[in-house]
Order: sequence, then structure tokens, then C-alpha cells
Amino acid sequence: MSDTPPIVLEFDSVTKWYGSVAALLDVSFQVCTEVVGLVGKNGVGKSTLMKLAVGLLNPSQGAVRVCGSDATTREARARIGFCPDFDRLYEPLSGVKFVAWMLRYHGVAARAATMRAEEVLTELGLAEDMYRPIREYSKGMRQRVRLGQALAHRPQFVLLDEPMTGLDPVARAELADLIRGLPQRGVGVLVSSHVLHELEAVVDRVVLVHQGRLLADGKVEALRDQLPERPHRLRLKGARLRELASQLTNWPEVDGVSFLSDGLEVSLSGHGAFYERFSDLAGDWQGGIHELIPLDDDLAAVFGYLVE
Amino acid sequence: MTTTTNSAAGNSGLARAVPRLSVLATILESARQTLVMLRYRRILWVAPIGLLLLFALAFVLAGTARSRSDGAHLYSVFAWWGLATVVMPWATLFLGVQAVHGELEDRTSQYLFLRPVHRVPLFLGKWLAIAAVSSALACCSAAALYVAVASREDLWPDGREPWLLVSFCIVLGLGATAYSAVAVFLAATFRRPLAWAAFFVVGLQMLAANLPVSAGLRQLTITDPLRRMTLDLIEPSRRLARALWPAERNEALSIENGTGAFLLEFGSPLCSLLILVVVCLTLGCWQYARTEYESRNRD
Repeated sequence: MSDTPPIVLEFDSVTKWYGSVAALLDVSFQVCTEVVGLVGKNGVGKSTLMKLAVGLLNPSQGAVRVCGSDATTREARARIGFCPDFDRLYEPLSGVKFVAWMLRYHGVAARAATMRAEEVLTELGLAEDMYRPIREYSKGMRQRVRLGQALAHRPQFVLLDEPMTGLDPVARAELADLIRGLPQRGVGVLVSSHVLHELEAVVDRVVLVHQGRLLADGKVEALRDQLPERPHRLRLKGARLRELASQLTNWPEVDGVSFLSDGLEVSLSGHGAFYERFSDLAGDWQGGIHELIPLDDDLAAVFGYLVE
Repeated sequence: MTTTTNSAAGNSGLARAVPRLSVLATILESARQTLVMLRYRRILWVAPIGLLLLFALAFVLAGTARSRSDGAHLYSVFAWWGLATVVMPWATLFLGVQAVHGELEDRTSQYLFLRPVHRVPLFLGKWLAIAAVSSALACCSAAALYVAVASREDLWPDGREPWLLVSFCIVLGLGATAYSAVAVFLAATFRRPLAWAAFFVVGLQMLAANLPVSAGLRQLTITDPLRRMTLDLIEPSRRLARALWPAERNEALSIENGTGAFLLEFGSPLCSLLILVVVCLTLGCWQYARTEYESRNRD
């Protein structure tokens, strides 16, 4: 038996045209039971990709499959949980009633639907307010209701569009934990966010869309390593900076060193070799190296480099 | 948000069977949810006030009626020209448009479209709910009107005629059902359904339906078959028939009275209404069930 995780979402050479405008061009990628980040500027085809993934659009070419079924079929929709980014809900209803109503269409009996809605909203931190009308909810509470309806039917693929919006820092951290825990329960997650550092903290890899094309697909570090024309930059703080700079400039993997007000900025051509060598140096450096911060190997930097 | 338990989401394998809600259960659930949402709309809270006003107005008008106007005549004229041609069409179209169009415009319909049920029963459930509410409101209005007129004993020298109330309830119920089909069709098809509804009521129902018998256009309306049914049911005097169908004057009685308006045969009023309902629901379902159905694609 193979240990390959099951594919919950598959884009197979998907192209989507709106009239003569191509929103997506030949996009192929897969999501297994993992957390994948969807990154892209506004208007590059992210929304189209998400609507295709949840079966609200038909691809012009190619195929979108959820758990092996065409994304527009009922079989697929039974396995999809979608948390949209728009703020409208059934305002007069309570959170628990809204989630229970949605569950009814999954074939869940009324009483069981209510119990499941209470369970999921309690878990999402809405235990005290779930019987109040949604129109009285704060932005964060509304976001939890949207999450609740996406998770209540125990989907196998969850698509979260800007899920952190409106949440306070504590709730964000809790949601990040929840998202990170979903793959352990056999759920694949595609999460879109403009808050790249938060996204980076929860995803296993990213899918980067730009101008309708799939620009990159992989782990952030791997993507960063695929940009040799972009030297890595580091900020160093420590004692005897002039001496340190003169030493570093002699290293072949260092492209350049410049002085900052309180440290050095080092440009690297080969960062792997640099770190090996630098760990020896830092251990012996008189006065110590206080800080070494990579400046451009996070998701935001990689995203910036790739779309430039 | 607690993340210690293991139940917010999760599965038991990709081969898990997908629970199904039957078509009938989906229709009923959609109707139930539409009814509950209607409960929160202001128009339904306005309805009792409207009924009271209607009662008061009818009571006052009945009191000032000329001596030669009898109760049956007054009631029929009020019920036809007030309820069947103005209040019921507008109220039904407004409710129907609100129920379908509101969800599409604020995109809450997407929550429904992501469920593993077909959209056609969702749409039919909404129509069913609007038809039921509109019919009930129309019948309550007819009853309020009847009570107001019937309370003037002097207007009924030969005794009251409850059959009139039953007749108008039948006609108004059928009319509300047909208008609700038009409403959900307009709401599913157009971005500005209330403007189209206004055109439908004023242009088709108020103008075209009052053309003479020879004008074929009137057969495309709801008002025309409803009027023929009314005339068939209440068996009016010549004077009342003229009052209900001014365009025909002398011919109204001879042409329409007792012609079997409720026969289910091609060309009969009942058949005309049925065809209109089926066409509207078919077109509405076709629009609503398209995969790429979004408000921005309409019009």
C-alpha cells in the first residue's frame, strides 16, 4: 500500500476565460492533506481559482477535481468547506441556527444539525454568543460563524479566503493552530491571505498566482533557493563590526557588505556555505555576534521577487 | 477558540458516503427556511396593519354606498379592483423578489449553492413558500373585506353570500400562486426585478388585461384568466359583470358566464394560468441552476 496522502484538490491544466480575457491560464497543482497557501495580488485570478475550486465556476479548459469528483458535482460539494471573504450572513438568524440550516442540506437531521452546530461554534469560541442574532455580532464573531459553516459538515477539503480578517491576535493564533491541525484529521486546506507572515506560519507550501498563471508552487525555502539572481541578505549585529566586515568580504560566498547605523547588511550568493562557515566564526568572535536576521527569505520577500 | 478537541472538522476516509437530502425534502427545507426568513421581514409585520386598514376602509365605503348598490356588488368590486388587481399582485411580487433576489445580491446564496443539493429544488422551495404566504395573505384580506361589507346588514336584502368569499379566496389563491412564479422568475433573471415587476403589473396586468376579448395579448396576462374564473364562480348580474370587465360591457356575461373556466383544457383560464406558472418556473429554474450563476452575469 502506498503512503502517498490522498489528493483532495486537483487543478489539471485549468484555463478560464471571461469572454476574451483569460483569468487563469493552464494552471496545474494539487492539494493533499496539507495546508497550502494561495498567494497573489488582487486581480491576478485568485478569486477565479477559488470559485473553480468550490465548483461555482466551470473551467474553460482542463479539469478541477475535489476528492476525485468534478468540483461542480454534489459529491464534490459534500466534501468541500468554503469560508468566503464577504461579510454577509443571514443577519436575523442566530449563529447556531445559520450553521444548522446549512447542515440540513447535507442530509443531517434537524436535531443533530443543531447539536453539531453548537459543537463546532463552541469549539470556535462562540459558545456564549451563538444564540444571539448574527446582526449583533462583531466582525470576529461573524468570521467564526463563516468558519463554522465551512467546518460543520466535516469536509475533506477546506478553502479559507482571508480567514484571519477581523480576528484579534489571540483568536488569530488559535485559528492558526486549528488550521495547522486540520491535516492530521485528513483535511486538505487551501488558504488565501494577504497577511503573508501569518500565512507563512500556517502553510506547508504555497501556490503563487500571477497574471493568471501559476508562478510558483512549493515550500517557501525551496522557492527562495530557486532565485539565484537574488542574493540573500542578512542583517548582522555584534562587536567589532569593521573587522567583521573586512573578514566577510574575503569570503567567496559573500557578494558584498554594507554598513547600517547599528550593524551590517551582508549580501550572499551561497547562503548554505555561508551559514556553515559563519557558525564557526561566530563561536570564536570576541565580543560576540548579537543578531543575525535573514532579510529576504520569508514569504513576503519571495512573493515580491517573483512578481517583480 | 479552543483547538484541543478533534471535531471541528475531520473525516473518516475519502470513500465516505455522501448523505443525500431527497428532492422533496430539499424543497420543503428550502420552503421552511424561506418562511422563517420572511418572518423577519417588515412587510409581514405590516400585513396585520394593512388588513385592519382594509377592513376600516371597506367598512366606511360600505356605509356610504348608494342605496342601489347591494353587498354582493360592493364586495365583488372591492375584492376584484382592490385585491386581485392591486394589493395581491404587488405584495406577491415584492415578497417573491425579496426572497430570491436579496440572497443573490448580497451573495448569501453562495452558502446554499455550496451544499450538496441541486439548485432546482432550492428554487422551487422558495416559490412554494412565497405562494403559500401570498395566498394566505390574500385570503385573509378577502375575509377582512367580506366581514366589513357583511357587517352592513342593510346591503344584503336577500341574505349574505359567503360563496362570494370562497370564490374570491379561490381566485386570489390561484392568482398569488401565479404571481409568485412570475416574481421568482423575475428575481432569478434580472438585476432589477422590481422594475420589471412594475412593468409587468402596470403594463400587462392593468392595461393589457383590460383590453377587449378580441385582443389576444390579454391572454398572456394573469388578470384575464383570473377574471374569467371570477365571473364563472360568482355568476354575476349583468351590472356587476360590466363593473368587473368594463372593456366588454354587454358581452361579458354572455361570453364568460358559465363557460367552464376551471376545466383543464387548452385555452381555458385554468390552463392559461398553469402554462404561465410552468413557463416562469422552468425559465427561473434554468437561470438559477446554471453553475456560473452570479448577479453580475444577469441582465
